[in-house]
Amino acid sequence: MSTLVKTLPIAGPARLPRAWLPPLLGAAVLAFLLAPFAALVFATHWQDLHFAPGDGTAISVSLLYSLLSLALVMLLGTPLAWWLAHYHYRGKWLLDALLLLPLLTPPLAMGILLSSFYGPYAPVGSFLQHYGVMLSNSPPAFVLAQVYGALPYFVVATRAAFEGVPEELEQISLTLGKTPWQTFWQVSLPLSRLGLAAGVALAWVRALGEFGIVLIVAYFPQGIPVKLWVNLQDIGLSAVYPLLWVFFLVAVPLPLWLGLRSRRQPLF
Amino acid sequence: MEIHYRLERPIAMDVHLRVEGFTVLLGLSGEGKSTLLKAIAGLLPASGTPFGGLPVQQRPIGYLPQGYGLFPHLRAWENVAFPLLPGADRHREAMDLLARMGLADWSERYPATLSGGQRQRVALARALARRPQLLLLDEPTSALDMATRDEILEDLIAEMRQLQIPVLAVTHDPHLATMADRMAVLAGGTIVQEGTPRELFAEPANEAVARLVGFRNIFPATVASASSTGVWVSGPGWRLQTAPRPWARPGMAVAVGIRSEEVEIQDAAAGGENALCLQVAGLRDEGLALRLKLRGALSLDVLLPRLRQRDGGIIDPSGSLQVYMAPEHVHLFPPQGSADDQPREGG
Repeated sequence: MSTLVKTLPIAGPARLPRAWLPPLLGAAVLAFLLAPFAALVFATHWQDLHFAPGDGTAISVSLLYSLLSLALVMLLGTPLAWWLAHYHYRGKWLLDALLLLPLLTPPLAMGILLSSFYGPYAPVGSFLQHYGVMLSNSPPAFVLAQVYGALPYFVVATRAAFEGVPEELEQISLTLGKTPWQTFWQVSLPLSRLGLAAGVALAWVRALGEFGIVLIVAYFPQGIPVKLWVNLQDIGLSAVYPLLWVFFLVAVPLPLWLGLRSRRQPLF
Repeated sequence: MEIHYRLERPIAMDVHLRVEGFTVLLGLSGEGKSTLLKAIAGLLPASGTPFGGLPVQQRPIGYLPQGYGLFPHLRAWENVAFPLLPGADRHREAMDLLARMGLADWSERYPATLSGGQRQRVALARALARRPQLLLLDEPTSALDMATRDEILEDLIAEMRQLQIPVLAVTHDPHLATMADRMAVLAGGTIVQEGTPRELFAEPANEAVARLVGFRNIFPATVASASSTGVWVSGPGWRLQTAPRPWARPGMAVAVGIRSEEVEIQDAAAGGENALCLQVAGLRDEGLALRLKLRGALSLDVLLPRLRQRDGGIIDPSGSLQVYMAPEHVHLFPPQGSADDQPREGG
């Protein structure tokens, strides 16, 4: 055996054949992904940059209601994600499948479902209308559409984050005299923060960018996505660039900040 | 402290034992040792005393799981301060506890950068911050380096004795049991024997306990005769004398246990009672000791410490040897054993 080992050449990573291939392929795919963004820089008429009428309102509508939706998504989604991550029982696969249903439903279809459930002629819609809540073409309808668009993504991401926290550490916290609530804040939350940040970022982008559901349920008040669509139809491609830039500026910083912040924490 | 716990799942158990000073509960893997600790801590549904019925967070216990369960996102002192109430004294109190464990200089470190022994002491300091009435340790030796294990454990046990907090440590490592004030053996969901380590190591109550406390030679035998001066047991081609046993009756099927290190090598000419001539079937170094496998009328596993290796002169790896077992070193186990502990050929 020992002679056999001695005669075998030592193969280090440097000797791997075609070591240049993976980085080259990676770079090519990255370029393919980013090329449209670079094109936007050149397509924008920087000398003649001006908003179309109503763009400002669309920006404030999007920002305000997306923040509200994000808060609602976190409030509703966190307990559900925590529950899905912590409770194990027979038939849970069915629950998982049900959770995937809204996630896999195309936004346009989801919009139709919402209007047939919350619309003015649907039972729930007419019931709420009786109390003055109009869930069609109204701010509440807009928020509702965004919540439906973002919540499934948030729950899936957050649940994975909670599942990554060793249950033993949560149990230890209990044995050290903390209540389940304190344990959640002091152990589960900090230990799942990377995944939670991803969930929040994802929810923010989903809510802000929601188009399909919003188009059906809440065409008004117009947020950025619908306004982009309207500008494109009414004026043309050149009219959408200013708003598109704002869209990026509004959508990207929160996820970017969350992502970088959670990565810069001391590694343990 | 008397502990009495009953649980159905995941393992059915009805355990009654006394915890005094540093008490070790010994059991094979899968016997439910960790399960029992979790039940006492309130992490599994179970009924019993003390603390039965209290929610986990109200039980005055300190629980150290295997690997110690330190919070990776908190520094050493923050881990220790975790159970302390917020206040001006929180930091000082945590630092005092760390200093007591000899870790004052490591307080700013994250657990990942500490050694196994240091982590254990941080976890212990954290458990003590809770002011527990009982400490539960799950396999306290599993994450320690062999080289420093004994030293760390001796310090740990000395500290516990000073604090006068009863400790229940569960392990499959008989070595830890040798350092305990008291020990018990868990098998088949119940305590099969408890007492001082000296009692259990010298007189294991049955085969299961004997195997756990390090007996390698266990084989079936029949009682040939029994009197107040001793018991004779025999098997095919051999006969051994043991100390008197009041329960032994002629014709009774029993099991015989002999420790590897209590088999002596004799001069071939010596002969006499309790001496057997056996063939050497295997021979290997075990550190400074020598482990022998012998075949013949009995198959024996023998461990010769360095001091005794000259007793039999130079050992011929293919020759035969005369061995002697003093009657007080030949243990007898009564026939009633649990079903899964059928007598097996030793060696």
